[in-house]
Amino acid sequence: MTELYPLTPSGPSRRSTLRAAGGGALLLGLGLAGCRSAVSDTSSAPQGASAEPRRGGVLNVAVNADFTPALLFAQSGQSLQQRLIYNTLTRYDDRLHPKPELATSWTYAKDGRSITLRLRDDVTFHNGRKFTADDVIFAVKNLQNPLRAAQLRSTAATVTGFEKRGDHELVLKLAHPVNNLFDLFEFMIIADRESVEDAVAGKKFIGTGPFQLKKWSPGSGLSLIRNDAYWQPGRPYLDGVELRVIAQADALISSLRSGQSQLTFDAPGKSLGAVKSDARLTISDYDTGAGAVYLGVNTTVAPLNDRTVRQALAWAVDRDRLVAQTLGGYGLASAAPWPKSSPAYSEANRTHYTHDPAKARELLKSAGHSRLEFPMLHIALPGETAIAESIQYDLKQVGVHVTLQPTDGATAQKKLISQGMPALWSLGHGFAQVQPSTLAVSAYPFNEAKNTSKFRSAAYTKVVREAWTEPETDTAAANALHQKISRILLDEAFLIDLVVRGQLQVSAAGLHGVTLNKFSYLNLDNAYLV
Amino acid sequence: MTQTTDLLTAAPPPAARKPRATPRSRHPYRTALSTARARTGLVLVGLVVLAGLLAPLLAGHGPTDQSGQSLAGPGTPGHLLGTDDLGRDLLSRVLYGIRTDLGIIAVAVPAGAALGCLLALVAAAHPVADTVVQRVFDLLLAFPGLILALAVTAILGPGRIPVVLVIALAEVPVFGRLLRGGVLVQREREYVTAARVGGGSGSRVLVRHILPNAADPLVVQIAVSLTVAVFIEGAMSFLGVGVRPPQPTLGAVLSQSMPYLAQAPQFAAGPLITVTALVLGLSLIAEALNREIRR
Repeated sequence: MTELYPLTPSGPSRRSTLRAAGGGALLLGLGLAGCRSAVSDTSSAPQGASAEPRRGGVLNVAVNADFTPALLFAQSGQSLQQRLIYNTLTRYDDRLHPKPELATSWTYAKDGRSITLRLRDDVTFHNGRKFTADDVIFAVKNLQNPLRAAQLRSTAATVTGFEKRGDHELVLKLAHPVNNLFDLFEFMIIADRESVEDAVAGKKFIGTGPFQLKKWSPGSGLSLIRNDAYWQPGRPYLDGVELRVIAQADALISSLRSGQSQLTFDAPGKSLGAVKSDARLTISDYDTGAGAVYLGVNTTVAPLNDRTVRQALAWAVDRDRLVAQTLGGYGLASAAPWPKSSPAYSEANRTHYTHDPAKARELLKSAGHSRLEFPMLHIALPGETAIAESIQYDLKQVGVHVTLQPTDGATAQKKLISQGMPALWSLGHGFAQVQPSTLAVSAYPFNEAKNTSKFRSAAYTKVVREAWTEPETDTAAANALHQKISRILLDEAFLIDLVVRGQLQVSAAGLHGVTLNKFSYLNLDNAYLV
Repeated sequence: MTQTTDLLTAAPPPAARKPRATPRSRHPYRTALSTARARTGLVLVGLVVLAGLLAPLLAGHGPTDQSGQSLAGPGTPGHLLGTDDLGRDLLSRVLYGIRTDLGIIAVAVPAGAALGCLLALVAAAHPVADTVVQRVFDLLLAFPGLILALAVTAILGPGRIPVVLVIALAEVPVFGRLLRGGVLVQREREYVTAARVGGGSGSRVLVRHILPNAADPLVVQIAVSLTVAVFIEGAMSFLGVGVRPPQPTLGAVLSQSMPYLAQAPQFAAGPLITVTALVLGLSLIAEALNREIRR
């Protein structure tokens, strides 16, 4: 018999069942994926924030250049490895107060002409040899050696005598009081004296630090492993550290975003646009003051020998635009070299020169100039070129026409040291992050005795020597001297500071306990990966 | 022997010649340039050249004028392609960059070609000269283009003249060897013997008879070399050893855009598209000429 009406299906057809199953599976998958991602997010966040330090793991650090063994005892472009392999006698806290490292305590003589250091007695070098006062004596003498090209050589040279009181107490006798001795102790790495020549030749690096060298591949990077005999009990947490050279900024950031590296200090601020939106990475700005941007002026080139013309240049540059457009917003527009953490910092000095083209033109006019032409040297890298172009444009607005001279870094450094710069140059400087006197006695552009600008002034020399030999570092007298130095730097404008920069750290969210010292030595004693 | 020579020099049979009768009625270069491939190339190159020539009319801003409006997106009022990191108009930078690039390669490639051809003719005149010139070519070829660029700029410093010099030096052995090879082949031909028997001096035969017949590959090579020159200029500017900033070049604009690839890809798009169009166009023209000449 034929059915008049088809039977109402008692259940879903095969096709609809499959559709429903497919759709359900899709929704279930999406739901589970959503749940999983939510769980991951919620579980990882508190773990990272409150979890106990975790042992193990190898930290990959991306660097844009390999270190130079020949400059191991100087301030070079790559200093991260210094505090990983070696230790220093003391370390500064954020307010420039020295804290113990290999030196446990110290006492200054009343006349400021000697300091007694008491040293740790439980420290051994990576080769098993005990650390003693002889290693400190060697370290100071090593920095006094002109071959080491240490910027703090003048401070090391004030140590004229050593008196050992046993293996772990030492008196350093000074030719005259200096107030930046702890800058020296923060800067001076304690290397095994028997292998120092091998170290500067790149063959052997033996220190007392938390990590020891496994392998150095020139141009590729350093491989470090945990020092099991480290003097800090239970440290370091990490099994090893790899410093990988990734020269291109984009590749460097890609390595962070892909998880190949977990830490870098070499990402340019203006390349961090993509990093800011990546929740897996964090950006920290250290107020180290290292790498300040400045416009150097050769005071022997007419009419730059006229202070009024130099001051006009200082008024002409738009520092805020420089920070925003060439440094990605990271930096502090400043007419003075000091970072906020410096005892010499003051808001009045920072804003002494602002962007005032009208005033610049007026000063030039008063000096009898309406159009000037100068060459300006800069390093031929994209970031540095952008800075130079920005300065060039600002100067052009007040009638100072600048021809850029792109130069490689090594040549620029050579000219900086040998006073071979043209009329103008734009570079970066350090050493404003420690005792203010260090800047004026140790940094090539500021050195009162011989600076790149060829600026000499009895008043400058006098105030710098006074500030340097002032035994107290935090007194009203010292601050008054710092202010005098700042006043001379600002009035004479032989070096026009533009931006004070810090050290930008980009790290994986799971990395904790990373610190830098004032000379950008990486400290991973307490670092761990979650 | 005579029979062989007759075969080589004899006119091809009518059946084989017939299909090519029409194209051969015109100059081979005209024939080559009338192909679709060459026309596409000509259009691409023409557009880029025109954009460069008309830069002062098309650009609404000076290529070095900065503003506070950095990394503005395409379509921003007053800035069709947006702005770069220093607030400079990207359209102006690209248009004036084309102008700079074309100015360099238009001088450098012909200069390199002329010098290379001159040396090739000197080499063809005497065996001793040939040996000397060959070693000079070997020396130049031993340096890859960028190493040569870094060496020249290390001595002269960056700038427009070093870029011209590097491109010209890179092209000298290329043109020289090409022409020398052509001369060696042509001078064994019977028409050369006939010219000599007719009383022509060695140099006259070389310049009046051999050179015109050996020159065809050079025309193709010029198109190829223009392409290479765009790359060399771009690479030098990219490495910071090219034309001095703030003068825009395509390579320099591209180099400046690198830190912003993720956040402002339009910064790199302008010079990239222009270089691609220029290189593709020149390559298509070279390919069309090459095909026609090889027939």
